[in-house]
Amino acid sequence: MKHLIPEFEQWKKRFPPGFDSAMVMLCVRRIQDDRGFVADSDVGDLAAYLGVPRIQIEEVLSYYTQFRRKPIGRWHVQTCRNVSCSMRSAEKLIDHLAKKIGVAPGNTTADGRFTLSTVECLGSCGTAPVVMVNDTYHENMSIEKLDELLEGLK
Amino acid sequence: MPGRQLIMTFPVTATSHTLADYLARGGYGALAKALTMAPPDITKEVTASGLLGHGGAAFPVGRKWGVVRLNDNQPHFLCANADEGEPGTFKDRWILEHAPHLLLESMLITCRALQVRNCFVYIRGEFDLPYRRLAAAVEEAYAAGYFGERVLGQDFACDIVVVRGAGSYVCGEASGLLSSVEGKRGYPRNRPPRLTVKGLFQMPTVVNNVETLSNVAGIITMGADEFKKVGVAKSPGTQLVSISGHVSRPGVYEVEYGYPLKKFLFDDCGGIPGGGSLKCIIPGGISTKVLTAAEIESLTYDKTSLEAAGSQLGSGGMIAIAEGTCMVRLLQVMLRFYHHESCGQCTPCREGMGWMHRIIDRIVDGKGVPEDIERLYAISKLNDGTTICGMGDAAGYATVGILNKYRDEFEYFIEHKHSKLGGNLEVPVHA
Amino acid sequence: MPEIFINGQPVQAQADETVLQAALRNGFYIPYFCWHKSLSIHGNCRICGVQPEGKNWVEIACNMPVAEGMRVLTDSDIVREHRKATLQFITLNHPVDCGICDKAGECTLQDYHFEYNGERSISIEPKVTSTKYVELSSRIVLDNERCILCTRCVRFTREISKSNALGVKHRGDESLVRPSDDGAFETDVYSDNVVDLCPVGALLSRSFLQKARVWYLKPTPSVCPGCARGCSIDVWHRKDEWKLRALDAKQNTSVARVTPRDNPAVNGPWICNKGRDLAQVFERARAELPMLKGKPSDLAAAVEAARRLVAAAKKPAALVSSWGSNEELAAFAAALGGRFATFVKADHVAAPGETVEDDLLVRADKNPNTTAARALFGDAPVRFAEGTDLVLVWGEGFDFAALPRGAKLIFLNSYLQPENGHADVFLPVSIQTERSGRYTNFAGVVSAFEACFPKGAAVADAEALFALIAPATGPRG
Repeated sequence: MKHLIPEFEQWKKRFPPGFDSAMVMLCVRRIQDDRGFVADSDVGDLAAYLGVPRIQIEEVLSYYTQFRRKPIGRWHVQTCRNVSCSMRSAEKLIDHLAKKIGVAPGNTTADGRFTLSTVECLGSCGTAPVVMVNDTYHENMSIEKLDELLEGLK
Repeated sequence: MPGRQLIMTFPVTATSHTLADYLARGGYGALAKALTMAPPDITKEVTASGLLGHGGAAFPVGRKWGVVRLNDNQPHFLCANADEGEPGTFKDRWILEHAPHLLLESMLITCRALQVRNCFVYIRGEFDLPYRRLAAAVEEAYAAGYFGERVLGQDFACDIVVVRGAGSYVCGEASGLLSSVEGKRGYPRNRPPRLTVKGLFQMPTVVNNVETLSNVAGIITMGADEFKKVGVAKSPGTQLVSISGHVSRPGVYEVEYGYPLKKFLFDDCGGIPGGGSLKCIIPGGISTKVLTAAEIESLTYDKTSLEAAGSQLGSGGMIAIAEGTCMVRLLQVMLRFYHHESCGQCTPCREGMGWMHRIIDRIVDGKGVPEDIERLYAISKLNDGTTICGMGDAAGYATVGILNKYRDEFEYFIEHKHSKLGGNLEVPVHA
Repeated sequence: MPEIFINGQPVQAQADETVLQAALRNGFYIPYFCWHKSLSIHGNCRICGVQPEGKNWVEIACNMPVAEGMRVLTDSDIVREHRKATLQFITLNHPVDCGICDKAGECTLQDYHFEYNGERSISIEPKVTSTKYVELSSRIVLDNERCILCTRCVRFTREISKSNALGVKHRGDESLVRPSDDGAFETDVYSDNVVDLCPVGALLSRSFLQKARVWYLKPTPSVCPGCARGCSIDVWHRKDEWKLRALDAKQNTSVARVTPRDNPAVNGPWICNKGRDLAQVFERARAELPMLKGKPSDLAAAVEAARRLVAAAKKPAALVSSWGSNEELAAFAAALGGRFATFVKADHVAAPGETVEDDLLVRADKNPNTTAARALFGDAPVRFAEGTDLVLVWGEGFDFAALPRGAKLIFLNSYLQPENGHADVFLPVSIQTERSGRYTNFAGVVSAFEACFPKGAAVADAEALFALIAPATGPRG
């Protein structure tokens, strides 16, 4: 992660002094966006750079659902399964996705193209059901729209 | 329009979130005015306005700010809570996507009031577009001199950092939020001490919801008295309500407090699609107790009215539920959520959420027993007021609320090993 | 000094106390798992909930600052219901391992379950299972099913040992105490304190694992001789009334385990791992027979031979043991101090890889009584004067190559060493666990140890020997 340090140094300028620990969430996300996941070496490197105990970074990586220590598929298909989405056929979408993609939620296809996950409320209940692919929300989904979406994800 | 509007006062366009458009609407005028006011006077104005928190607790904002001691030789912090994790809630997102500068200006005014040099916005990790809009707005604001060493060229410095979360509901709880900003797990903390005494890195910190803060600019511009003319006595102003579920026109509406609830649901939101009838609503996020169609008959949308009916305003995340929906399956979805989101620190919630989830899964699986209902009540009670944060209580309220009003569906499910209503959650389509 | 009321009774609290601290100090017991007097407050177990008088709820006492006039109830119906409920939750997924769990007999959860709950679980769900034998290090094993996530162990590594070697990973009821990936717990010399801290049988010492039931053991107060800190310890060994008659009799005289004895003046509630491993020190092969130039002798003959050597010596020198007790050292000074040119010997030095000194307990001087020895005999380095004709070596750590040529050697030692057979007179002496006495630590604090075991038939107490080998005519000149 060391090539990201110049960027991190810029961010530090807007923090009060002595707030290096507060950089953890930002740095972890940046490392993950860069590499696709947070590698074991990144943990030690980041801990050293920020001067925090490495166990803190390990805990953070295990606690938050969006952080991962292993690579996943190229397209992370995340379907909300919470109340409003379930009331708008999210369960049918999840079943359909599992069949179409060919893996159960929580798994990655053998070719590394898709990882399927069910997630909790994405804050998009008004346009339920919602599917998040990587960073993008796809709202008002239906089975037809899902099929179309998947087609476009190479 | 469900009453007068204070925030959603402009049409959303491709550029309405930009600084240029915000300025054209009169933006940053309130900041200029606030910089001529002494910090305590800003707090006085906000207190006088009666503004309540819009994050779920409806706590008087001025009272929270008032705990922070000015000139006490230590840094103070302000964190805007943009975690918006309460299921059913998506109204802060509207502000972040379409009026980020309203939030930023309001935060600057608040920083002036509370002698805050460094402020933060904590935004849930999943909100990618809202984050990018907000981050862009922050850069616009810095470039225009609204943040930095000399705000508007005056002797007032303020820096802002947007911290992104990464998937944890309890980071929407103020102390969990601060734990996350500190770079750790989103663990809520016990009180005492209050966060306004020892918050971020043990310094006095105010955490306010995005919508709450976004009212501040308007209050400074129009003054507390004008603000109080909107809404009703105990609930001044408006609420951004996100409505979803079985409703024809879901979305974000700004509802003036005191507006008739039934009118809002059936006129403004188009009522139940497909000709169905309303069974109940969840008024403000799943942690608030359900209200049946009969119970909302003559309710107005405000704090007093909802509390008198045995529920709360909550986060403004309203969910409409049509007749024919299986409340057992609905509770199952909720309990699965609470189980997934429990941080795991305190005994009643850590063990209780899993336990309730397992019980309801067993009921839905056709293996429920009559005692399960009492167990759910007992676990809810054992989480009431005994936990580090309000999530244990919330799960209890959601459970008790549904059990109290729809016990018959649970008894039926247990006895017959299947739902009275076909296990249905989706909008029933009527011929 | 705020006055508060506990169960209606006035209690003088201290200004910055919590209700829990005030209550415990004044004899009102409030149960607690996660609170510990030497660690920060976490407030996660919830069992210390007390009822504010007049309210119908509980608040945790461990995080409740006292306030003048405050009134709380620690034994009301509401509090009792709360404790029962909390125990229902804690035992919800707790495995019923008592029959095979080391902690049985000294387990806080067992005690509280008996005292405050005593009812079967109201759950009919199968218990959630988890990992049961996680090697946190070569010394400590963790059973996550038993763990109640009180986080005492984590806070210990963060606040006391500062190794930051433990944390809680994942969340909710999937939370697991886990060591940091770099294995820092292995090199945390205070790691074993988490076994004492753990209120249940989740964290266990691998060396003690399933060795003995604690109710067959008794703790004898002692002092750790591992360094000049002289931590107060308990040496655990088989109770007299539970002596084994079949099986290996050695088990009746072996050290089952060593734990800290809370001493605010010296070590607080902690010891380092070296203290835990004292059995390895005490139970090295023992010298049991007096010898004359390697030939076994009886004690009387050996003592007489030594006395003659002492009487005949013109320039005797002595190296006294820095493991000698205050009493032994005083006896040497009285009986032989005037006669011998006496030097204080460092019996032990830091082994390769051993922590030399740190900010917490470990001292560079790896001997328990250098202070008392130097007070009596000075701190001059060992230098044999010209013509030294007798050297009395007491204890380990002497390099026999440094023995002056032609000098006779009287050697008092507890352990088997090849040099035992080279001495003109060899006298086996008792170790700390076979007698009582005192050590003076580096700061001048005097601590007492008591005998745990009888000594061997031909093993003598050094304290008695010194008078016996002093010539009858008394010290010379």
